[in-house]
Amino acid sequence: MVLLRVAQGDERAMEQCITKFGPLVWSIAKRHVQDHSSLEDIVQEAFTDLWKSAKRYNPAIATESTFVGLLARRRAIDFARKESRKPQLEPLPDADSLPHASIESSATLRCESEDVRAALKELPEETQQIFSLHFDEGMTHPEIVEKTGLPLGTVKTRLRRGLIDLRNKFRRLDSGQSPSNP
Amino acid sequence: MKNQDTSDRFEELEAGRILGDLVPSEIQDWKMLSANPSNQADLSLELAAAALDAEFLTSEDTVLPEELLKKLHNGISEFVKAENEDTGLPEELLKKFHNGISESENDVIVRPTRWQGLLASSKTAWSIAALFAVLFVAKSFVEKTPADPGGLMATAPEKAASSEARKTLISKAGDLIQSEFGGTENYNQMSGTVVWSDSLQEGYMSLTNLPANDPGAKQYQLWIVDPGRDEKPVDGGVFDISTSDGTAIIPIRNPLMVTNPKAFVITLEQSGGVVVSKQEIVVALAKTS
Repeated sequence: MVLLRVAQGDERAMEQCITKFGPLVWSIAKRHVQDHSSLEDIVQEAFTDLWKSAKRYNPAIATESTFVGLLARRRAIDFARKESRKPQLEPLPDADSLPHASIESSATLRCESEDVRAALKELPEETQQIFSLHFDEGMTHPEIVEKTGLPLGTVKTRLRRGLIDLRNKFRRLDSGQSPSNP
Repeated sequence: MKNQDTSDRFEELEAGRILGDLVPSEIQDWKMLSANPSNQADLSLELAAAALDAEFLTSEDTVLPEELLKKLHNGISEFVKAENEDTGLPEELLKKFHNGISESENDVIVRPTRWQGLLASSKTAWSIAALFAVLFVAKSFVEKTPADPGGLMATAPEKAASSEARKTLISKAGDLIQSEFGGTENYNQMSGTVVWSDSLQEGYMSLTNLPANDPGAKQYQLWIVDPGRDEKPVDGGVFDISTSDGTAIIPIRNPLMVTNPKAFVITLEQSGGVVVSKQEIVVALAKTS
């Protein structure tokens, strides 16, 4: 695993990481930030975070791409929030850790690509549609409202509850159960 | 609101926080609910969102701009260099801290571009006063009000709950950090300990003989120095001491995540806490390494 080698300070592994995960980090950053120069900054910061945080990576808790995605997401959302005029009392997490392997944690979500697809299919049709618009096509909430005709509150609620449902399904998958089991 | 309802509401707001769609009133609700020790978010929702991003956005067709790719590869040596810096607190700072803070040092304003760079420089003649000059809090980008729920005047049941939660943390955290507080000149009667877990993002202070404060006038504020995270110390929450007798158990309320704290510092600030500390009253410090 390339992240484990990065954690050991292997510079060559870091090069491989950039090649392997660069497009993902770039895509995530693009979802949240329009300005090209800021985009580049975010990608560079995300990889700096990755170098510093790789020792926290635990393959038993998340896949490598999820771990990298988490770091990139934080950087991008942090930037977008700072750019917005909204009050920013919510936490803006920075480079930090996944729980250590030694800690029994409810955060464990080691789902592979096929698990994600399987769990998504278990969601209600209307939630799947909004997830597809938001996560796949990168639509903002107002864009989803315009596309679907749904009230903004409904869009937000479906996304939030959908994320919670999906997390619960991932947990069940992680414990070896079917995602649809209660 | 019943406990389950509160928990559900907190989880929904936490999902909104991760999706980046909280409105100001929801931010206030999130903040109030997150102050409740029973509402402890883990990383699972964030990991779920990251897994979705990874699933939908991993495409062989996406290519990084050539120039950026070059910058990233060239930057690797910089990562390594930064990683190898010594990020421990210099002895000089601690010595000055224990000797008290001079008037002139108190006026020093230092705004380093990289907090860890400042911490790493053991030759730099910087003082504890300078350290606190950079207490730009990343926590709340909006000034707190006196009505802010961040302040904590523990009632007896809350104190008991905090004490229990502290014991639980000590027993379950495999990465527990524990350190002793030392009071500054005017607070040298106080003593205390801080316990903290990076992985659980949870910690408590146990403080004895800290003078009671008038919450309407002044409040204590905790700062967490985490050079690996940022050059800016992280706010650890505003709290009150209702009586100088006995020991107060204060939960640490860090709105930003902390990964490797080097020190915990208590200051006395205006009611509601501050975003930028003038480091006028430094109360105590606990160094972790």
